Amino acid sequence: MSKSHKPVCVEMTIPSSSEFVSVVRLTLSGIAARLNFSVEDIEDLKIAISEACTNAVQHAYEEGSHNTIDLVFNIYSDKLEMIVKDTGKGFNPKDAVSEKDSSGSVDKFGLGLGLTFIKSLMDEAHIESKLGQGTTISMTKYVPQNA
Amino acid sequence: MSDLSIQVDSTHPVSIIRVQGEIDVHTCPKLNQVLAQHIASSSQDLVLDLDAIQYIDSTGLGVIAHSARSLSERKGTIRVICTQNQVLKVFELSGLHKKNVVLYKQEADALKDSQ
Repeated sequence: MSKSHKPVCVEMTIPSSSEFVSVVRLTLSGIAARLNFSVEDIEDLKIAISEACTNAVQHAYEEGSHNTIDLVFNIYSDKLEMIVKDTGKGFNPKDAVSEKDSSGSVDKFGLGLGLTFIKSLMDEAHIESKLGQGTTISMTKYVPQNA
Repeated sequence: MSDLSIQVDSTHPVSIIRVQGEIDVHTCPKLNQVLAQHIASSSQDLVLDLDAIQYIDSTGLGVIAHSARSLSERKGTIRVICTQNQVLKVFELSGLHKKNVVLYKQEADALKDSQ
């Protein structure tokens, strides 16, 4: 595997459609298995990438539109960086409703909790979103030193 | 593509809904439909067996939270069977197990507490 400063890059683009989120998980599993992540770490990575894709599928674009989500997996020797990017509506991360103050909507529960999962399960997570321009979620998990 | 199989066991005093497969943004509407149908027709407790699922994320928990709220308004409780560490972890991260959902290791214990 490549040195830390020079990643191997895997890119994929999926339709912004819920049925393709499991395809992303499958791809990620194959990539993460090459990095000696534990089974538990791989499960955490699967949840994080799914939450990022789900956010794009549910909130980025108007329903029924034919848009795409771009994914990048930067594979380092000691870490995996995952980037999920849409060019949709964007949102103010402060407006993401948390589980505690949700009004009861399933969608709102999912959005707030999804971001919480990403931040909890990854070592690093950055969310950039601009109204009208889209959202980019970058997530990094380090390979355990004793792996 | 993700797949979800749901079986409803009505041979006990309360229904047991057994789920297999992956619960994600694509499949959670199917789970939502089954839970909503049950809650609309009964105010009894519900046992939701997640022991055979391969995956769940915030979308699945959202469906369970929404259903638990609806059932609690009718004085019912969702009792979830789950022993997998990864599934327990997402319940803990969500805080859902501290609200309207009770977690169990064994089906017999969930049935014993049901009404």
